[in-house]
Amino acid sequence: MKKKRLTRILVEGRDELAESMAEEIEKNHAIYLDKQPQKSLVMLKNKDSVSNQPFYAGEVLVTECGVSIDDKKGIGVIMGERPEKAYHLAVIDAALNVRLKETESWGARLLEEEEAIHKRHQGEAVRAARTKVNFDTMEDYDD
Amino acid sequence: MGYVAVTGGQEAIEQADKLSKYYRTSEITSLLDPQMIEKQMRLLIDRIMGEGGMYAPEYAAIALKQAEGDPLEATFLMRAYRSTLPRHFYSHAVDTSSMRVIRRISASFKDIPGGQMLGPTNDYTHRLLQFSLRHENEEALQRFATDYGLVDEEEQERITFPKIVDLLREQGLVANTKKDEEVVPCDITRQKLTFPASRSARLQTLARGETGAMTSLAYSSMRGFGVIHPTVGELRVGYTEVTIPYPFGENDDDGIYLGEVMMTEVESINSFDENEDEEDLQFAIGYGLTLGQNEVKGIAMSILDRSLETTGDQVSQDEEYVLTHIDSVESYGFVSHLKLPHYITFQSKLDRIRQAQQKQSGKGAEEYAETT
Repeated sequence: MKKKRLTRILVEGRDELAESMAEEIEKNHAIYLDKQPQKSLVMLKNKDSVSNQPFYAGEVLVTECGVSIDDKKGIGVIMGERPEKAYHLAVIDAALNVRLKETESWGARLLEEEEAIHKRHQGEAVRAARTKVNFDTMEDYDD
Repeated sequence: MGYVAVTGGQEAIEQADKLSKYYRTSEITSLLDPQMIEKQMRLLIDRIMGEGGMYAPEYAAIALKQAEGDPLEATFLMRAYRSTLPRHFYSHAVDTSSMRVIRRISASFKDIPGGQMLGPTNDYTHRLLQFSLRHENEEALQRFATDYGLVDEEEQERITFPKIVDLLREQGLVANTKKDEEVVPCDITRQKLTFPASRSARLQTLARGETGAMTSLAYSSMRGFGVIHPTVGELRVGYTEVTIPYPFGENDDDGIYLGEVMMTEVESINSFDENEDEEDLQFAIGYGLTLGQNEVKGIAMSILDRSLETTGDQVSQDEEYVLTHIDSVESYGFVSHLKLPHYITFQSKLDRIRQAQQKQSGKGAEEYAETT
């Protein structure tokens, strides 16, 4: 699974999932905290439709954390002030980079969580779709 | 005349701080939890984050509580706080065409692929003061949220929608501006804004501009003090994914996901422009993008963006005027500083007026003596 997909599931998913995965690793392996969870900013790059060139629309507050397991680094970055989750994300990342045995059983849980996230997003899409509108013009209208 | 610093007043300042706290708290019946502000003043939070240039709903709520509801002061607090934080990452370019849309309207086209969705809006409701809000019942509201939130799990709806401007571009009605080389954008938080400004600097300045100031300038353009009076081609509100490159990897396509940011994007359609290369007539587009749901600012931004592409003598066409007067921290700070002691500055004015008066009265006495 690509990092982008994995971190999307972990960030959007229940906090308990990332916490339990990180705990599994903590039980059996030494974790070195390279960077304490700390707040920082990420600059948002956007593209405007006129020039199709990038510009910066603002910054996002994030919490980032860095750890090592067996000399392999792991990083956790998440929006908002969330030191615990940033740490859990970093531990999971490092564990995957080391290819620890515990990570082999995570696939099914991650896919299940991804499905739950999809359902939540679908729910929001359904609620938004209830407001679909078709305004009638009172005179002829050419599309 | 330069500025002359003052000193002292420490005890009075400390007492004034306590008095402010007293005024904020002495007549309260229950404490205002910042979470209440964050969840129930959604649009104000979005405005503060946009103008503060920092997406952090929880902190915007604290800033508003601290500022006792003053949006300019709250924005100032957000900007001041952000300046204390390091920045370690730049995001991948956020793709608004894959936005998880909750609202999408077009004032130009009745039928758009995917349809129009009003989403959360009060645009079409009567502006009647709802006195019933005085007596809202928490249990009843929770019941409403649960009941309304229920959806049939079998029901499937589209989450992303194509952008109207891309469809117009396909039909040759908008200039195709796809460029192979990406220009590194200017960052006005680190580089001084100079004129003429690059397009990226202009858009960044507009994106964190003050809603009221931008609305006024855009309004002036539409009223005739300018040449731009567009139609909204598309206004969309939704969640965009934020990702950054993975620092320990070599795969540029991959990255790590940080979360979603709600944004409002506006593409407004203006009169025709002649395409210089192909001599075709094409629509000129104005672009607006804000953090959170801030639709009027998004539209105003698209008007000002387009207006600054035109030449003329109107205020809304003057890049330096527009960009240097829409920043709330700059304008609020400068007007606000007039409250601080200016004793020496004023003393010099006082001296000058007295000297002038003396000169006049002396001259008057001489003239009187000449007549007698």
